[in-house]
Amino acid sequence: MIAVIALVIGVAAGIFLEPTVPLGLQPYLPIAVVAALDAVFGGVRAKLDGIFDDKQFVVSFVSNVLVAALIVYLGDKLGVGGQLSTGVVVVLGVRIFGNVAAIRRHLFRA
Amino acid sequence: MSAPRRDDLLGELFRNPLDPGYAAAAARRGDSPPPKYGRWLTAVAMLAIGLLLAVAYHQVVAAAPSTTKARDDLVADVRSRQRTSDDLQRRAAELRAKVDQARDEALADGDSATRLRNLAAGTGTGKVTGDGVAVRLIDAPPQVDPVTGKTQEENLGLVLDRDLQDIANSLWQEGAEAVAVNGQRLTATSTIRAAGGVILVDFKPVTSPYEVTAIGPPDITDRFNGSSTAKRFKRYVEEYRMQFSVRKRTNLTLAGAAEPPLKYARTPSPTPSGGPTR
Repeated sequence: MIAVIALVIGVAAGIFLEPTVPLGLQPYLPIAVVAALDAVFGGVRAKLDGIFDDKQFVVSFVSNVLVAALIVYLGDKLGVGGQLSTGVVVVLGVRIFGNVAAIRRHLFRA
Repeated sequence: MSAPRRDDLLGELFRNPLDPGYAAAAARRGDSPPPKYGRWLTAVAMLAIGLLLAVAYHQVVAAAPSTTKARDDLVADVRSRQRTSDDLQRRAAELRAKVDQARDEALADGDSATRLRNLAAGTGTGKVTGDGVAVRLIDAPPQVDPVTGKTQEENLGLVLDRDLQDIANSLWQEGAEAVAVNGQRLTATSTIRAAGGVILVDFKPVTSPYEVTAIGPPDITDRFNGSSTAKRFKRYVEEYRMQFSVRKRTNLTLAGAAEPPLKYARTPSPTPSGGPTR
């Protein structure tokens, strides 16, 4: 419950405070969003499975975002940033799909 | 069905999307209750995620209108400048007419007034009327690929600056005495050139449909139709679907071109001897 309220507060803060993203960080924003979504859906699925763990969730979120950003950063430096971000999106997208499917099975038994 | 291979990375990814960390953590924890601070940690992480989502959304939404807005502003700017330029040109034409009238009145000698007017009409700075020909050119519609439904980038049927130049030159050759492109009168120093995909006649943009009007001898329409230029454009019509038509026109009125301002040359002050000064 606290988690959901915190999410809502975060969204509201983002909308009303309108923080500006530094130009250097802007390419990593979409990747960070996908990584964060992956962590969230993983957490929701774990919650429904009854094995949710706070520490695991926080660590997975932070490491997901950092690793995804690192991969894209490396790719940018090597000149294959576009391809590597596609790779990151594909891998995380597959995970999100799998987790959402598991959540769906939990909620609708189908 | 064969047993899944251990090194099948993608298959593993699809089968087991959940971090094994959750199961491991649950097993390690056993039945002991989770620590209290963990909830707040999760709350902070969720706050960060919410912030991230909102910022990303904001970024996307804010970025799109700013580009279109900048474009709209530019378009409005161009329009207003064009209006101003048109107004100024109209005013210049009015003033020129007044000057001409005043000059005619000042010149008591009717002969020299007529001579002056004829000279102005011949050089293109005076308004002229008469019968002639109108040549109409329209860009070919963009080719649509029948398979993908996308428009092809290269359109070979676009009217180029060279096309208008050729038609104007051909009309001069067939005896035209006054030529205008989309109402822009051509003079001896007129230019027809392209800049950034737009055709400029004396630095004023003209767009499709292009109409080159000319006043000339009665048979100018036939003569132009028989010229090699007209034949070439008829071939363009078949090959590139450009639209091209030549029509005889009566009672054409071609406005005078703006007199080019003299920047370096000056009219010499009249000397009593009439000889060259120095």
